[in-house]
Amino acid sequence: MALSNVVLVKGKGVLAQNDTINQKKLSQMYSKGFELLFNAKNPQESLQHLFKSSDKVGIKINTIGGKKISTRPEVSHSLAKLLAGSGIPESNLIIWDRTDRELREAGYRLSADRYGLKVHGTDTRVNWAGYNYDLVSHLNIGSRFARIQSNFATASISLAILKDHGMAGVTAGMKNYFGSIHNPNKYHDTNCDPYVAELFETKPVKEKHKLSILDCLVVQYHRGPSYHARWAEKLETLIFGLDPVATDFVGWQVIEKLRAENGLPSLKEENREPSYLKSAEKMGLGKANSNDIKVIEEEL
Amino acid sequence: MKRRQFFKTAGGTALLASSGMPSFLMDLYAFSGKQNLSHVEARYYKKRPDREIECELCPRFCLLGDKERGYCGVRENQGGTYYTLVYGKLCSIHDDPIEKKPLFHFLPGSRALSVATAGCNVNCKFCQNWEISQVRPEQVQNYDVPPEDLVDIALKYNCPVIAYTYTEPIVFYEYMYDTSAEGRKKGIRNVVITGGYINPEPLVELVKVVDAIKVDLKSFSQDFYTDYVRGKLEPVLEAIKIIAKSDIWLEIVYLVIPTLNDSTEELRGVCQWIMKEIGPDVPIHFTRFQPMYLIKNLPPTPLSTLEKAHTIAREEGLHYVYVGNVPGHRTENTYCPKCQNVVVQRTGYQIQKIDLIAGRCKNCSTLIPGIWS
Repeated sequence: MALSNVVLVKGKGVLAQNDTINQKKLSQMYSKGFELLFNAKNPQESLQHLFKSSDKVGIKINTIGGKKISTRPEVSHSLAKLLAGSGIPESNLIIWDRTDRELREAGYRLSADRYGLKVHGTDTRVNWAGYNYDLVSHLNIGSRFARIQSNFATASISLAILKDHGMAGVTAGMKNYFGSIHNPNKYHDTNCDPYVAELFETKPVKEKHKLSILDCLVVQYHRGPSYHARWAEKLETLIFGLDPVATDFVGWQVIEKLRAENGLPSLKEENREPSYLKSAEKMGLGKANSNDIKVIEEEL
Repeated sequence: MKRRQFFKTAGGTALLASSGMPSFLMDLYAFSGKQNLSHVEARYYKKRPDREIECELCPRFCLLGDKERGYCGVRENQGGTYYTLVYGKLCSIHDDPIEKKPLFHFLPGSRALSVATAGCNVNCKFCQNWEISQVRPEQVQNYDVPPEDLVDIALKYNCPVIAYTYTEPIVFYEYMYDTSAEGRKKGIRNVVITGGYINPEPLVELVKVVDAIKVDLKSFSQDFYTDYVRGKLEPVLEAIKIIAKSDIWLEIVYLVIPTLNDSTEELRGVCQWIMKEIGPDVPIHFTRFQPMYLIKNLPPTPLSTLEKAHTIAREEGLHYVYVGNVPGHRTENTYCPKCQNVVVQRTGYQIQKIDLIAGRCKNCSTLIPGIWS
């Protein structure tokens, strides 16, 4: 059985002293990540493996945690730039999350430009935003989908922030799609299991998801998903994966490692292991065990 | 500009007119924006370290970090303080016959000004109002109606009752409580239509300011509550007992869903529990299910099943048993348990005849429990 490759690229110094981003270092991290994931010469070529130039690509970010612990604007804009460089028109790209307010609070400048890169929430008043009226019903899921995910995007990237989560255990690339439905609050029981996996298996997500990237420049490894400086580690890392389950599994291991280093109990000991990853594996969505995952690490 | 002057804006009036809303809205309130959320501190929660809070309103006990919302979607932790986002933010307002709630032993024939905000603390797969209950307040249009204004509307339009209904009023507890207290001062009765998924402490306080509660007991099986309600049965039974012991009026509805909660054993179990814990005089309504929301693959409840439930309840000794959502059925009437005289005759939501004198059967003077005037 083929292993799922997951690439971790650490960019030492990508976070400068005053918490700004070293843009050059960030670009190098993306280049290296794609190079290792696709075995390609450059990121543009890598992305051409995944996307057609006619694709409309949704970059789903996570901004619920405010400025300190959200997908950073520099990280998502760099990705958008790479996608544009691979031949996808900017007007076909959207960086998005649930609400304009959360995006603003995370430092994003909003734009609903029909002819350019779009950056906005599902609540922006444009005809490609809002929620579809009809419910998507699948197993335990019954939700309205954001039109951005179900109608606008032909392909999607989950560009989530990696965080500890009080209920789910870990929030990363798969759980990020909770932000694409109208009622995520209904799916936090039982450690979000099997809801995260079942939501991922719905048509609007599974058929469009192409790539997971985890923003681990700063990782909240305890008391998440809110920001707490005491338990936030500047890891200066991006994680890349084509297998959404394996990518999140590796993210989970990163969190466990940080917890152990800081003398905290494991998530299992706190009864909030992200069991939805095992459910996802059982559903055939990807790998959730170390034996089936090849972790490729690089430091720049 | 005063709130009451808002309606004079041309846009607001046009919107209301085109949406076919009742006249009492036409001359009082204009639409408010989707982003119109309240910022009123919630009751029944505990502050925890690191800006976390624990909600203590319902048996979920949601533990929430900063910026997170509870399961209900309408209560949010903002920097370690918990806020209700729907205080006075009504997504539905209508005048209904009290029989529609249904409350059959409570001021029959009266109009109930019926209101709801967005949100619910369970997720029933058969919800009739999921478009407002299973959404966040940003996802519906909200009217801005503070407690005192809602009471004024009820008075102005001769609604003796305000009903908190349609979604799950427990999630807008603060508004319901304050409005009820305000209404009581002015002679308005307040009734709550709920799934009963609430903790004892807030419920004990609530029964001090409302006049009747109708509880939807959705099943008598924990498995059903787990699979189809996303909640627990036991707290609902506890809530029913608390209400029954209080001074307010209680009725129970049991929505009978084919194959899911309609077995003879389960129906008998419910009736036996009611007899044992509450007594024979609490009205119980066995209502017909219609396929909707996430259960569309089952047929409407056959009349024979509803009649079976009725028979079981009567066999177990319950005095006031009704079949609901079957207009014209003989069991819509209230019968005197002693002489079988029809003391309240109904057709659908219409009252045809009331044969009571001071709450007693006109024929045999048996006391018929309820709030009749």
